[in-house]
Amino acid sequence: MTLAVSGRNRRRTPVDWPVVWSIVRRDLTAVRRSKGVVIPMLLVPTLLMIVLPLVIGIAARRVSGPTTSISFLDAIPNRLAEPIAALPPQEQLLTLVLGFLLAPLFLIVPLMVSAVIAADAFAGEKERRTMETLLHLPITDRDLFLAKLLTGMVPALAVSWGGFAAFTVVANAVSWSYVDGLIVPNQLWLVMIFWVAPAVALLGLGIMVRVSARSQTGQEANQLGGAVILPLIFLTVGQSTGLLLVDITVGLTVGAIIWILAGLLVWRGARQFTRDRIASTI
Amino acid sequence: MTSPTTAIRTESLSRSFDGRLALDGLDLEVASGEVLALLGPNGAGKTTTVRLLNGVLRPDRGTATVLGLDSTEDGDEVRRRTGVLTENAGLDDRLSARENLGFAARIRGFSAAEAAKRVDDQLERFAMGDQADLPTAGFSTGQRKRLALARALLHDPEILFLDEPTSGLDPTATRDVTNLIGTLAREHGRTVVLATHFLGEAGRIADRMAVLDHGRLRAIGRPDDLAAELWDGIPADIDLGRPATSSVLDLIAAIEGVIHHEVRATGTTINVRDRATFARVLHALAAHDVDVFGANLRRASMEDVYFALENRFATEREPAT
Repeated sequence: MTLAVSGRNRRRTPVDWPVVWSIVRRDLTAVRRSKGVVIPMLLVPTLLMIVLPLVIGIAARRVSGPTTSISFLDAIPNRLAEPIAALPPQEQLLTLVLGFLLAPLFLIVPLMVSAVIAADAFAGEKERRTMETLLHLPITDRDLFLAKLLTGMVPALAVSWGGFAAFTVVANAVSWSYVDGLIVPNQLWLVMIFWVAPAVALLGLGIMVRVSARSQTGQEANQLGGAVILPLIFLTVGQSTGLLLVDITVGLTVGAIIWILAGLLVWRGARQFTRDRIASTI
Repeated sequence: MTSPTTAIRTESLSRSFDGRLALDGLDLEVASGEVLALLGPNGAGKTTTVRLLNGVLRPDRGTATVLGLDSTEDGDEVRRRTGVLTENAGLDDRLSARENLGFAARIRGFSAAEAAKRVDDQLERFAMGDQADLPTAGFSTGQRKRLALARALLHDPEILFLDEPTSGLDPTATRDVTNLIGTLAREHGRTVVLATHFLGEAGRIADRMAVLDHGRLRAIGRPDDLAAELWDGIPADIDLGRPATSSVLDLIAAIEGVIHHEVRATGTTINVRDRATFARVLHALAAHDVDVFGANLRRASMEDVYFALENRFATEREPAT
């Protein structure tokens, strides 16, 4: 495969994939050994994808009569509420929470993983004073940027998809005795996992690339980039209050908007990711 | 035009950061196999020069040609053929010594097998085989510098840029690193640009010194030649076994380049314009059958020259009263 860019004094050269993957491997090896990066990166997905469905499953066992989900169902569109309202009470809670409400909350996972790793990969290089050494190696600016993007993207998708696989097992296991069939994956989850989650991961990368250019440490970049999570909180609050219900259409639309935003951010980041600019700040 | 033996050439090379000139019109030529000491206080422009030469920074003005390649346009090719030791060793502390070197080898295009072999060879060469698989986080400054130097030499670079290679090292490690750099230059013909403010090491291994001051190249040359400019000639003692006779003094005085001469109890002390003049004096004495029991050109150390230059620059900067 040949990717090429043209720009000021940049010649068209194919991507040197062995070099790109060498950087990705090195960065991920280093990340794996960094407890400060790995623990928060795995903690949130574990809570969201394993602990939370377990708790919901246990809570569902205690439900015998009409639940609060009934009042919530009044607030959401009929086309979504009616099929859930027709289910037995225990099944309502499981289907509603695991099948629908958690889906936007799940987006925190790819966002957080990509942002944390990007902060380590970009600003962290400055903090560890390894950036200059990297700049003195025969790597094109484009390949270095691509490697750093992949360093964030690969684990973000791996954790997201791996987490979703675990969530699928746990969610279906806890609801097996109450629900007829599988709660997840449903269409909304599939849209979230394969369309919105990669976009969100790229958005996190795009933002952290910009933020890292202005930061000297990974921690500083994380603090500055922390605001990235706010839109997702709005989305989640909107979902849980019925103000903004993320159904498949909304998911596809939101995903498309995020892809465009992320693409723009990454494109701008790539243009500004030059040796000269980086070396001027270290 | 750059001659085939010119490793580095710059013309009017300039770079500023936020409106402050870090390097101002550097004109420099370094021959292949030469060791050039780039001297100057902090902020003089040494690191900026190295970054510009290796194509990491782009010049605002001027050009840098390294191994016949334009550093700005052919930066990757230049970096493929150069090795750099940055002031901070630049090792990832989460990786082992072997992994740090292996990464650089892979980036430089070696196959996995070749990379592994080169890494092992370098670790052995730098006596770090025992620490090969330890994380570099626990390494001393000396070990880190040695490992970083091993990494810089991994691909047998034609030019070595060494930015403060001995800062933070103890005397033994400093001597080892300095000896190694000297060996690389003398025995392996490597061109070395040594940016440092440690004058002792520079004096031991450098052929020429270039003194940067506030981004400007203020002096360049062999320490002896610069000393001759600074102190009106190089002093030399000639042992004749007795005070020089007037005929001998006349003979010496007639040689072009002899600035001053005076009689000493064991011969004469002269001041010559350069080393070549000293050689002519010795030839003339031999040609006239004058017995010479010893001759010593009192070479000014790089340190002497540097501080004399620094004083001169400081005087020049002082406002006229």
